Amino acid sequence: MNNLSPCAPARHRGSASRALLAFMVVLVALLGIVAMPAARADAMEAVKCTGRPNSEDDPTVIMGATESRITFEASIAEGEGVSSLTLHIPDGTSFGTDDLAVTLLTGDDLMTRNELDYTEKVDGQDLTLEFAEPITQEGHLNILVYDVFFPADGGEMQLEATYGLTDGTEASIEGIPSIPVEGISFTESLSQWLEDQSWVQAWNSNRFLHLFFDPALLVTSFPVVLTGFFMSISIVAVAFPLAIPMGLLLALMRISKLRLLRGIATTYVNIVRGTPLFLQIYVAFFGLPLAGIQIPNFVLGVTVMCMNSGAYMCEIFRAGILSISKGQTEAARSLGMNGAQTMFYVILPQMFRIVIPNLTSEFIVLYKDTSLLAAVGIMELVMYARTIVASTGSITPYIVAALFYLVITLPLSKITRHLEDRVRGHRTRKHADAPELAAEKGASHE
Amino acid sequence: MKSMTRRNFLTVAGALAGTAALAGCNSEPKQSDQSDENADAADETIDEGELEAEVGLVTEGAITFAVSPDYPPFENLVDGEYVGLDMDLGRAIAEQLGLECVYTNLDFDGIVPAIAAGGQADAGLSGISITPDREEQVNFSEPYYIDNQAVAVLASNTDVTEDNAAEVLNTAEMTIAVQSGSTGADFAAENFPNAEQLAFPQFTDAFAAVSAGQANAVCGNLAVVEQMLAGAYSDQHVVLTSATGEEYAIAVNKDNAALLDAINGAIATLRDNGTLDELIATNMG
Repeated sequence: MNNLSPCAPARHRGSASRALLAFMVVLVALLGIVAMPAARADAMEAVKCTGRPNSEDDPTVIMGATESRITFEASIAEGEGVSSLTLHIPDGTSFGTDDLAVTLLTGDDLMTRNELDYTEKVDGQDLTLEFAEPITQEGHLNILVYDVFFPADGGEMQLEATYGLTDGTEASIEGIPSIPVEGISFTESLSQWLEDQSWVQAWNSNRFLHLFFDPALLVTSFPVVLTGFFMSISIVAVAFPLAIPMGLLLALMRISKLRLLRGIATTYVNIVRGTPLFLQIYVAFFGLPLAGIQIPNFVLGVTVMCMNSGAYMCEIFRAGILSISKGQTEAARSLGMNGAQTMFYVILPQMFRIVIPNLTSEFIVLYKDTSLLAAVGIMELVMYARTIVASTGSITPYIVAALFYLVITLPLSKITRHLEDRVRGHRTRKHADAPELAAEKGASHE
Repeated sequence: MKSMTRRNFLTVAGALAGTAALAGCNSEPKQSDQSDENADAADETIDEGELEAEVGLVTEGAITFAVSPDYPPFENLVDGEYVGLDMDLGRAIAEQLGLECVYTNLDFDGIVPAIAAGGQADAGLSGISITPDREEQVNFSEPYYIDNQAVAVLASNTDVTEDNAAEVLNTAEMTIAVQSGSTGADFAAENFPNAEQLAFPQFTDAFAAVSAGQANAVCGNLAVVEQMLAGAYSDQHVVLTSATGEEYAIAVNKDNAALLDAINGAIATLRDNGTLDELIATNMG
């Protein structure tokens, strides 16, 4: 390199920047030449190096101190004769060799799997594979290392790999992507600690307790299901307030004197109340997009829940309006109010007080029904619980999910009961029957 | 034996089970080692007798398989009938064991937990790949089929091609539809961690989601993806395949070793007499 530095500025002393540029170009070229021999002997190149995600919180996260698996894949050039391969697993990472899988993928689409005859040797963090027959076929060498436990603190895990050729040369595989590992989450470490406790083991030895109330799983599924809880709550929190004006509008249409308005509202309410919400969700999620209407999942979910709830609320409001005594309307009209004024200043304020208990139970129903959105890929409460059940085989996450429903529904039904009592207390026995009937109607469609 | 690979395991286990089946016959005084077929036939009658005695079944006289019929060509409902490789295999196994074959419909992600809990079905037969996670919950029979992973996108989607699929799929703009609890979901999570994942209980819905534009790509077992694309979803094409070599096997409750042995014996017989290959040939077309 020294012999080059004087030659560039010698030509154009004035143009320092050009000289620098030339120097850089030469430097890069030189580096390229230095690297070339290695590149030429690069019988193997890294294709991928991944870890199996092992976190319940996020399906793509790899955590430390929790079982994982390393998938290492490198390409082999034709006729190279690779006779051995050494994987240097990052320090602090433990691994097992019992289930080690070494496969050579060949063919144009790399879909042909060839088993290899090899012996493995473990020396500290080095896992060496000696191939009985040197690999001369072109293809990808795929290695699965099981029982991998990354360090608890996580970090970027950089594997190193060297290989030996039949002619005795050794070279290392460059450009292996590192595996991002996150530190073990608090709940996961707590759960692992719990699993080691003797009382937990005794508890879990009972089949029923293990399946339904595994303490370690209660801990790990809690934060995961909590994420779904927020999703469910946010769906209801948007859908419910939107359904109220919709239900009110439908109710006013249903008691309207105009036959057309009445017909539209009645048809809508009958169709929505007469078909399962599950079916409506399917139609909306798979039908609308096919018809060219593209709506984001969350918005679509909220819309379906809102449109469904609107129909039920329509009936709640209609019952409420009809339960207001005729005398109220007559009195208002005799004071000179027109129809709209009567409705907005006299009827509706009284109606709302009566229907609040029913609206609360409608809220409970709506909240529980968000679970149906799991079928169309919305990650709500049940769906999160479901994914953990699938990977652990214990029902415990469903129990956690049930708790998240009860946390909302139990206090609300208590409030509903309280409100019902209040409504009853304010009215005469005879009139109180009407809202009670409506309450039953509202509850019956659960 | 330590360096035994998973593929090797398949053949070795097959051979072992075969020998075990024969050995079982030889212990019968009447039997000699003349004819394999006779031996196998006799083996079945023994199995049948033993089965009644020691295998706990959900319904007496019948073997109940939990199945998620959304997975052609392995299991599918056609006019209310269960059809596909797994379904034919289940019926053949039941016949071997002298039991009636009953299918019970469960979402895929519920099958392994249901088998682990017991009570609903005797065995899970639904294109279930052997994975270490599942092995912790249930026992697996000998594998009967090997499958790989594939990713499909809409044919009209020019952003994802066979050349750039591996990189493009691993970006935040991508939404990948998978079946909840499947190896396809694990594969997508490991190889495309930056993409968003949309999990459906029914695999068929994942394809519908791609056609409907809810997701950009669908990831799952190759044989199923190919079958779905050949049928209802001809507007999609495969952009990426990976030879994961997953082994499909039957899941059995850990406490029911007798049933596992019986199923393994039946699979070995079906493999040896060529029925398994026949079933694969007819169903894979």
